Amino acid sequence: MTEPLEPRIVPPDAPGPGTPGASVPGRIGGALKMMSRATYIKEAALKNLFLACAIAAVAGVALIFVFTAARGWTVVEDPGLAAFLGGTEWSATLGRFGILPLVTGTFAVTIGALLLGAPLAVGTAIFLSEIASPRMRAIVRPAVEMLAGVPSVVFGFFGLVIVRPFVAEITGGMGFGTLSASLILAIMIVPTIATLTEDALRSVVPGIREASYAMGATTWQTIYKVLLPAAKIGIIDAIILGMGRAIGETMAVVMVAGNAPQFFKGLGAPIATITSQIVIDMSYASGTHRTALFGLAIILFLISMGLVALVRALSRLNARRS
Amino acid sequence: MALTGCSGADGREEVIVSGSTTLLPIAEVSGEMFAEEHEGVSVLVSGMGSSAGIESVSSGSSDIGTSSRELKEAEEAIGLADNPVAYDAIAVIVHPDNPVRELSTIDVRAIFSGVITNWSQVGGPDLDIGLVNRDEASGTREAFSKIVMGDAQFDRGAVVLPGTGQVRAVVSEVPGAIGYISLGFVTDEVRAVAIDGVEPSEEAVVAGTYPVQRVLHFFTKGEVAEWTAEYIRFVLSPTVQETVVRDAGFIPITAKEALGD
Amino acid sequence: MGKRWINRIAVGILWACGLMTVVALGAVILYVFVRGIGQITPEFIFTKPHGVNAEGGIGPTIVATIYVTGLSMLIVTPVAVLAAVYLAEYAVQGRLVNAIRFAADTLASVPSIVMGLFGFAFFVEAMGLGFSVLSGALALSFLMLPIVMRATEEAIRAVPKYIRWGSYGLGASKWQTVSRIVLPAALPRILTGIILAMGRAVGETAVVIFTMGQAIYMPILPTDPGRSMTVHLYTLAMEGINIEAAYGTALLLMIMVLFFNLTARWLAARNRRLQG
Repeated sequence: MTEPLEPRIVPPDAPGPGTPGASVPGRIGGALKMMSRATYIKEAALKNLFLACAIAAVAGVALIFVFTAARGWTVVEDPGLAAFLGGTEWSATLGRFGILPLVTGTFAVTIGALLLGAPLAVGTAIFLSEIASPRMRAIVRPAVEMLAGVPSVVFGFFGLVIVRPFVAEITGGMGFGTLSASLILAIMIVPTIATLTEDALRSVVPGIREASYAMGATTWQTIYKVLLPAAKIGIIDAIILGMGRAIGETMAVVMVAGNAPQFFKGLGAPIATITSQIVIDMSYASGTHRTALFGLAIILFLISMGLVALVRALSRLNARRS
Repeated sequence: MALTGCSGADGREEVIVSGSTTLLPIAEVSGEMFAEEHEGVSVLVSGMGSSAGIESVSSGSSDIGTSSRELKEAEEAIGLADNPVAYDAIAVIVHPDNPVRELSTIDVRAIFSGVITNWSQVGGPDLDIGLVNRDEASGTREAFSKIVMGDAQFDRGAVVLPGTGQVRAVVSEVPGAIGYISLGFVTDEVRAVAIDGVEPSEEAVVAGTYPVQRVLHFFTKGEVAEWTAEYIRFVLSPTVQETVVRDAGFIPITAKEALGD
Repeated sequence: MGKRWINRIAVGILWACGLMTVVALGAVILYVFVRGIGQITPEFIFTKPHGVNAEGGIGPTIVATIYVTGLSMLIVTPVAVLAAVYLAEYAVQGRLVNAIRFAADTLASVPSIVMGLFGFAFFVEAMGLGFSVLSGALALSFLMLPIVMRATEEAIRAVPKYIRWGSYGLGASKWQTVSRIVLPAALPRILTGIILAMGRAVGETAVVIFTMGQAIYMPILPTDPGRSMTVHLYTLAMEGINIEAAYGTALLLMIMVLFFNLTARWLAARNRRLQG
């Protein structure tokens, strides 16, 4: 991305006379311009103020990481890193804090959400970008954006009163579990994946479509053989970010997953995720239990940061290629 | 934690109540009602747990320590005065179509620890048992665990729901489900089974024959301040007992008095 | 011909995708509307919950939600706008800018539960603010920062270059140009970004539950605790006893979120029209 051609502020060449307010020669954008010392100082100060604000983002991330890690640090000693990361049992009453059941729960629910939601989202994006008439677009695109704005508690509530009984009918169990959670999460990540995929499709060079149609390809052939490969990296980015959203989602999951910290036993069996366990336990946890929860939070933080890094790396690869 | 008034300025009397979360609804609502009737008095209620409540009344930082459990041996020596305010009976509920109407305490323990997994093992149809448990922060779970489970652990694979209404709703919809809720919240949507041959009812609780029950306490220490005593009297009056206590799903302590102290 | 049939089936499936998404949205909104509309009375909106089962209204929760959202916007907007000014006007490609962008992206994808725990550990406990609107607003502002930053940066970049050059040509300093020409021109888009961020803040649960608390209280000072509508909905749904109030809360919540979203869209469309 080219930087805009902006005049850069360069300090005046010579220190200049001591009287304040006197004009001194200073460069702006290569041409000499008269500016007062006071103005220069003011401009520089302002620039540093803005810089400080921008650095706030970095400071914020660092603060979150440091503080959460500080609170969760003692899991390394008690119960110990191996017992924490490799333990197969999470039970506060027994004092065991092994995260494996929670990790597999997050994994199961996320995979389910992606399997259900990613095709739907990509399909919707293709529909919007290639097939929909302007009138259809005016209905569907706002719908996608508004879906993005629905609060997660409302989705969870919807899952509780509609999806759970429905899944109970199908699986014969109580309806709490991976299937219900995946269904709700799938709907929630559709807007994330769809908007980014649509962006990716739009940024494909327009001439490619015309060339394909000119050769007699059908719409689907164009999409499948030309557009999707061209937008591949963008779509993968979109799916990764959707995955990040699914991993980090809390409220909707806690209302339909059943919150039983056990390994995956079937689509209709209750399950707990990292996020749901934190929310359920936090209200009464103390001591080791609480540090374990902060340990879980750090793990989540690292996962989401890792996904962001992955997406950025992929985008750089893409930019370099084109 | 709800604060129902400003902290003590001159002329404002305060009754400080802290302890069990189970007791929170009774304490909060009756505290609000009390403050409305008595100008210049406020009842400040917080819920950090029964142990915290007993601790704070012993040390003098609260006027009343609420508790949903009995005093431990070590705590007996402190010399706290007990004001029981309600009975809490826990009903074991099943789907209304479930033919099983009675279970022994041993059966219930086996079911909730996952040893018994099918209704046919306790005289019912060939149907998988759907276990519904409460979250670990729940006072109801705490009581159930102590009275029924003893040393046995809850089945890891049970669904954990953080709310009475949730448990009731799920049990009413799923034919094989079983759960436990405060007796006061049982409605026609579910059926409460008899435990050890005793049907759960207010009379059985008061008579002491229904096994799964406990007493909810307001503990005080030593000389009780005027307004504190007035508040406790208020909580024990029919106004509160018949409305607030029942609304909260508990059984009035005064029901026993009807039988003659 | 083979390829025509495949094409028809594929296009049909894609149509189905688009429609399914609309249906999903419609189902959620419709269901909440139908079950909740009966609850919406002036009493529901203005009175406070009382009694053991939260009978009555949800007034304090509405106030708490608006209060914490407004306060967090007040906190975040200056920082985010000035940060975006830096990125758009002064920054040169380099490691610092990369770090800032990476940090902003990370901040945007931090799971809200992590933000909630951090907010609890830092604002509520370490800084001693306790459960309060202020703690909630500070935690929310972390979440909102990248959203407003990105919107502002795009808004600033969208201002045509010739406007700036005209300003410099007249001898204005950088700051004068930015403050008097560029920012006002970018204002509508910035506002749109802020409103969208507010819509997102209103829908947050995990962050506020650990920073503003759960006490049903009408917050007046920023140091007062409160319960937001989202937390109230969560509590009601999980308790399961007063489901009607839950539907009512959900409906009011949706109305609030839709209000912010639609206002932002309207602003954006109006801006597009005005700029031709």
